[in-house]
Amino acid sequence: MSALGELATLRRKGPKGKVTMAPSERGDNKAAIFFLAPWFVGLGLITIGPMVASLFLSFTDYSLLQPPNWIALENYERMISDVRLHNSLRVTFTYVFVSVPLQLAAALALALFLDRGLRGLALYRSVFYLPSLLGGSVAIAILWRQIFGTNGLINQVLAFFGIQGQGWVSHPDYALGTLMILNVWTFGAPMIIFLAGLRQIPEMYYEAASIDGAGRIRQFMNITIPLLTPIIFFNLVLQVIGAFQAFTQAFVVSGGTGGPADSTMFYTLYLYQRGFTALDMGYASAMAWLLVVIVAGLTAVNFLLSKYWVFYND
Amino acid sequence: MSHLTRTKTSRRGFRLAAVAMAAGLALTACAGGDDGTGTDADAGDGGVATADPDAEATIKFSWWGSDTRHELTQQVIDNFMVKHPNITVVSDFTDWGGYWDKLATTVAAGDAPDVITHEERYLRDYATRGVLADLNEYSDIISLDSIDDSIIAAGQMEDGQYGIPTGVNAYSILADPQIFEEAGVEMPDDTTWTWEDYVEIAAEITANTPDGVYGAQDYGFNEPGFAIFARQRGEALYNEDGSLGFTAETLAEWWEISLELRDQGGTPPASTTVEIDAGGPEQSLVGTNSGAMAFFWTNQLGAVTNAAGRDLVLLRHPGESQFERTGMYFKPAMFLSMSARSQYPEAAATLIDYMLNDPEATEILLSDRGLPANTEVREAVRDQFSEVDQYAAEFLSDLETHIVDGLPVPPVGAGEVAEITRRINAEVLFDRLTPQQGAEQFIAEVSTATGN
Repeated sequence: MSALGELATLRRKGPKGKVTMAPSERGDNKAAIFFLAPWFVGLGLITIGPMVASLFLSFTDYSLLQPPNWIALENYERMISDVRLHNSLRVTFTYVFVSVPLQLAAALALALFLDRGLRGLALYRSVFYLPSLLGGSVAIAILWRQIFGTNGLINQVLAFFGIQGQGWVSHPDYALGTLMILNVWTFGAPMIIFLAGLRQIPEMYYEAASIDGAGRIRQFMNITIPLLTPIIFFNLVLQVIGAFQAFTQAFVVSGGTGGPADSTMFYTLYLYQRGFTALDMGYASAMAWLLVVIVAGLTAVNFLLSKYWVFYND
Repeated sequence: MSHLTRTKTSRRGFRLAAVAMAAGLALTACAGGDDGTGTDADAGDGGVATADPDAEATIKFSWWGSDTRHELTQQVIDNFMVKHPNITVVSDFTDWGGYWDKLATTVAAGDAPDVITHEERYLRDYATRGVLADLNEYSDIISLDSIDDSIIAAGQMEDGQYGIPTGVNAYSILADPQIFEEAGVEMPDDTTWTWEDYVEIAAEITANTPDGVYGAQDYGFNEPGFAIFARQRGEALYNEDGSLGFTAETLAEWWEISLELRDQGGTPPASTTVEIDAGGPEQSLVGTNSGAMAFFWTNQLGAVTNAAGRDLVLLRHPGESQFERTGMYFKPAMFLSMSARSQYPEAAATLIDYMLNDPEATEILLSDRGLPANTEVREAVRDQFSEVDQYAAEFLSDLETHIVDGLPVPPVGAGEVAEITRRINAEVLFDRLTPQQGAEQFIAEVSTATGN
């Protein structure tokens, strides 16, 4: 939601200056509400309803097969001693804290490169955006398993240089790394947002800086980065939330097991296993709410810290 | 300019709204369907006593498996519907991996299939939670006359018959004689070989064959292998009451042998093992002509033989004559069960009877659901078995005098044990846990999962 808000703000502040609301647009608002109504119904039935239900179920022993019984905080108490839950948190945090910064760095680098107005820019933009559309798909996850397999592409390239590779997705020390690379590879969405942000930085700052003798690196550090911090912040918040919800890649690459040896057991995957394989839906619901709290907490921290590094040039 | 933009936006908005509305409609439709099921189910319950066998009925039948099984089963269903024109059977099939997730979800949604294919590790979970019907109530429809009592017993629990085995299987070793020959190693005598022989033979084959060909595939990913290992020592994976029947030492020894195999080169490195394990029978070492021995269920012989493209041999487990007793057992390949909430239990029972007892069904399915449990039907279709199936059937009948007894129905929560075994096995193979630590963790986790 706020993504669209940010972009809309950027657009409105374009060369033509501030856009004011015309009288006829008030009628449009009514129409908008009318047409949005089905979406609100969906939001209630598909999102908020199930969330409320899962909050209730998290205080029960619901097994999917039998009606739930109230057990108060027992599920939450069990979490304290569940070592596999702790492991899944460790795996997920590692994944988020390593892959999101790398992904944003890749996105920014590509955006800077594309911002220089190459020929065939539209084509490049689409090409680099493609992984974002594909990255979450089952097909790419299967492809990933092949590429990083014992006889996969990576090892064939390594063999060319005389290096004996191994099964990367099937070794507990490397499996999570392959998933991180997959996440970094899907840099397209933040890249497009960075590109939009770069377009908003007025050319005159750079002109002034180069007259004063600032080099490219200096310009990047003192003009581009500060003016881009709101966009970086926005991308960071969005990607952190997205990375916490990562599921498909780990599910497909590990064949639904989170293996080898729980090394790719994302929090969401463990939640799914508890709920649907172990028929422990009450516990899984409690886990879902713990995730909500964790993500909300991290986002709050993000917003608090933003005061110290995000620069709004208003 | 602004007018143009607005038009565009509202057109897009309209499209979005249309999609949302369609979704909304679909949702309402689902809800409507749910209501319908609920009411009908109530009516069905009341109508059991006076049900008319010729009444129209629509039942859902769920199973897991390969594409071959889906095609064969669909043929059987089509024949069944010709024979019983008043019954419509809706097929609901998926692969093994997604089957249990899907089943649990449909049961929770009150939309359980009428005829449910089941497996021993999940049977008690569903039966004790009231999901499955007691099939004794339909004994006038489902005939069990030609099925061996010990096989029927596999689907019995304290208070009823919750599933009927479609056929039997045995966990055994598939061996590739061509690789034995290439390695210059003699085929073992499987009535007398020991676990030490197994380790030695595997290492010797790896040593005498080109890189990438191994003596054996790791066996530790699957708990039935350990059940046999424990039984050979007079122990058991589960006791009758569902408690654990083995010592940590026995389980540790099982993993020590598998580390010995790995260290002497008999089995591939751990990461290769994990990869093979994820690939299924077709990508197994034996299936790809790159391994001499692997543990499989007898009804997988056909699939692995196809993949390998050459004849394979079935062997008994090592150590069958080494300790206190033999460990191998007949396992019901799968069960046919009925939902306790079926609207048309008679129709569902008719389908179960047809699958089990009508030669017409078995002529198509042959041994795909295990060697047929109905001995009369088995004899009637024996000539139509492929060579591979006939060979497996002979291997199984030879085992009849060798096998002491079956396994009790595993406890509630046994479905989780497969996952626990696979995970701890990987921990042991990658040296993250010692066999002893692995065994202790296994016991702790399985005790929690099964509530013992």
